[in-house]
Amino acid sequence: MPLFKAKPGYTGHIKAVSGNEKIRKFLFTLGCSEGEEITLISILANNYIISVKESRYAIDGKMAKAIEIA
Amino acid sequence: MKIALAGNPNSGKTTLFNAMTGKTEYVGNWAGVTVEKKEAALKRAFTRLKQGGGTGSECGQGVGRSSRGGSRITVTDLPGAYSISPYTGEEAITRDFVMEENPDVIINIVDSGSLERSLFFTTQLLELGIPVVVALNKQDIVRKRGDSIDAEALSGMLKCEVAEITANDGKGLKELVSKAVRASEFGKQEAPEFAGRRENAEAGIKKGTKSSGREAAENSAESEDRARQEYIKKIVAKCYVKNAKTNRITFSDKVDRIVANTYLGLPIFALIMWAVYAFSISGFGGLVSGYINDTLFGAIVPDAVNGFLEGIGVHPLMQALIVDGAIGGVGAVLGFIPLIMVLFFCLALLEDSGYMARVAVIMDRYFKRIGLSGKSVIPMIVGTGCSIPGVMAARTIEDENERKVTTMLTPFVPCGAKLPVIALMAAVFFPGAAWVFPGMYVIAGVLIIIGGLLLKRIFGFEGTSTFIFELPEYKIPSLKHAFRQMFRQAKAFIIKASTIILVMNTLVWFMQTYSWNLKVVEDQSASILASVGGILAPLLLPLGFVGWQMAAPILTGFIAKENVVATFAIILAASDDALHMAGGPLSELFTPVTALSFLVFNLFTPPCFAAIGAMNSELGGKKWLKRAVLFQLGVGYTLAMLVTQIGTLVVYGKFAVGFVPAVIVTVVIAGLVLYLIRRGGRESGRAGVLAGEERAL
Repeated sequence: MPLFKAKPGYTGHIKAVSGNEKIRKFLFTLGCSEGEEITLISILANNYIISVKESRYAIDGKMAKAIEIA
Repeated sequence: MKIALAGNPNSGKTTLFNAMTGKTEYVGNWAGVTVEKKEAALKRAFTRLKQGGGTGSECGQGVGRSSRGGSRITVTDLPGAYSISPYTGEEAITRDFVMEENPDVIINIVDSGSLERSLFFTTQLLELGIPVVVALNKQDIVRKRGDSIDAEALSGMLKCEVAEITANDGKGLKELVSKAVRASEFGKQEAPEFAGRRENAEAGIKKGTKSSGREAAENSAESEDRARQEYIKKIVAKCYVKNAKTNRITFSDKVDRIVANTYLGLPIFALIMWAVYAFSISGFGGLVSGYINDTLFGAIVPDAVNGFLEGIGVHPLMQALIVDGAIGGVGAVLGFIPLIMVLFFCLALLEDSGYMARVAVIMDRYFKRIGLSGKSVIPMIVGTGCSIPGVMAARTIEDENERKVTTMLTPFVPCGAKLPVIALMAAVFFPGAAWVFPGMYVIAGVLIIIGGLLLKRIFGFEGTSTFIFELPEYKIPSLKHAFRQMFRQAKAFIIKASTIILVMNTLVWFMQTYSWNLKVVEDQSASILASVGGILAPLLLPLGFVGWQMAAPILTGFIAKENVVATFAIILAASDDALHMAGGPLSELFTPVTALSFLVFNLFTPPCFAAIGAMNSELGGKKWLKRAVLFQLGVGYTLAMLVTQIGTLVVYGKFAVGFVPAVIVTVVIAGLVLYLIRRGGRESGRAGVLAGEERAL
């Protein structure tokens, strides 16, 4: 399912990241790529607060739809 | 010898740079504060150490015998980057510098809290062949988690020196510098060895690979990146002792749930900003400013100087130049220093805390409506201090249209230089009113929304933006840092007042004292200033501003916005009342309604020339700059006109001066906007069709 549908507190692994090449590559450098662990910390003001490799990021709904989790 | 500072955004590069060079460059606790490279000489304390003059055992013996030993060491601060392939404009600056400018050594600052992510860039830097020293910063975050990093093991595996530092208080810096000097003497860097690494790593990085081999190159780049990640994981497993899970809910997360809450976020932001401005403007800062304006520059200084000049028998005209021109004008501006200082102190505390990144999160959904994203908030917040760094901060936005629109909208946010203008108008025409300052920021917000919508329609921009922003951990803001930023701003303000504003004042004073044939005029309306202002005056008629006295401050305001205040001080110097007294000499020129109109005109028309220059370089050419300036002029002009005409009609129940021309101008502007929107709609329709065809192909 996409990260978009996950509930806060969810921890799992990323199955795939879709979207344009440039953004995918950028996400990859952050460690947000296939096989990596991801935790959804909270959903705030339509943004998804995620924890990837010890860092916190806010991503919008569109990007949360592009991240497929297992 | 050249040292380059490179690393992930918000890892502490500029803090380290400031500590190494003694500079006070702008720092803040969010990703993307530094957007251009900055160069300065290494502090002498470190240079001495380099020459090995009895500074302890930590500097190696080879240090003193440097072949480049005599030359000075320059340190270059670079924008943060997550990898060597740039995602945004400022990351490209970093890539270009490390790959083309041949620094002798790269200090790679690593945020210890995000070691694994940081090492991605580190391993790429190691492949360049330039000596690298890793500086492990922010270890307090790691310790707070209960984790630890084995720096020696890390150094062994990366085959480069690793220094542990705390950039905030300068700990470990001497050792870092001596390690960097030693590494540069050694002169080369071994690349990390991992399966899947291509020998010529640059092949995938350099642009312009022809399309035939491009796909293959991209594929191999991707698999190399994967191999790199695996390699880094192995390193981290060996040198990072992990005791706690990092994905549990931390204190920062709990704070976020309140301050970035869907419903509470915006009210909390408004409350914080209101408190900051109330404290700086009507609170402590305003109090001290009031004293300086009334007493110091209002009476003590002019009286003393007058007495002195009369005593030594200076020509009365010279005396007038000094007292009315220089002291009157510059003093009117300098009086606002306490206000500016307190404001910047508060803003520095806020920026240091980590809150600004949350503001981007809160505002994202509102900015999405006008085709922008939360990232556009950062330039606007920076713009509350000065529009120039604000406009430059737009570089961190990846999408070109979004970046352009943000560049055009950022100058609407009232900058520090506009505060004296607001304060002056508020004090004279709305004494005691608390709404003027917040009101101007609310208007700025509304204009940004309307302006964003207009630009989106006129240029047919599609909102394609995606938003991703790193959230740094909150920290207790450093008072030392806030004081530094405060004095830095005060210094800049004083320099500006004593150079550009002083020169302009002298010029204005000269122009209003003399006529074209260089005779002292009895009646100011015969002066040079009056005739120059008279050219502009008809254009201002629809706004209800009558006479050359209104035009002069507007013109000088484009040089620097503080000039508006200073120029009024000179033009109206004849009066005994201080300029900013309620019901002072300004009230001969304005009604409260036209005063408000004059204020919004100065705030929301194009910014000063320096900021227009910054817009030029960010927009990348005259074509867009012209559009931007016309757009800003149109917005400010229309708003001022509406305030005057509607305000006069509502408040005084009569038509303001220039009502008929105003109606004509309104019709013309409305027609123009409608035409542009229709054209923009057609263009975006065409673009949509083209994009569709491309997809179909």
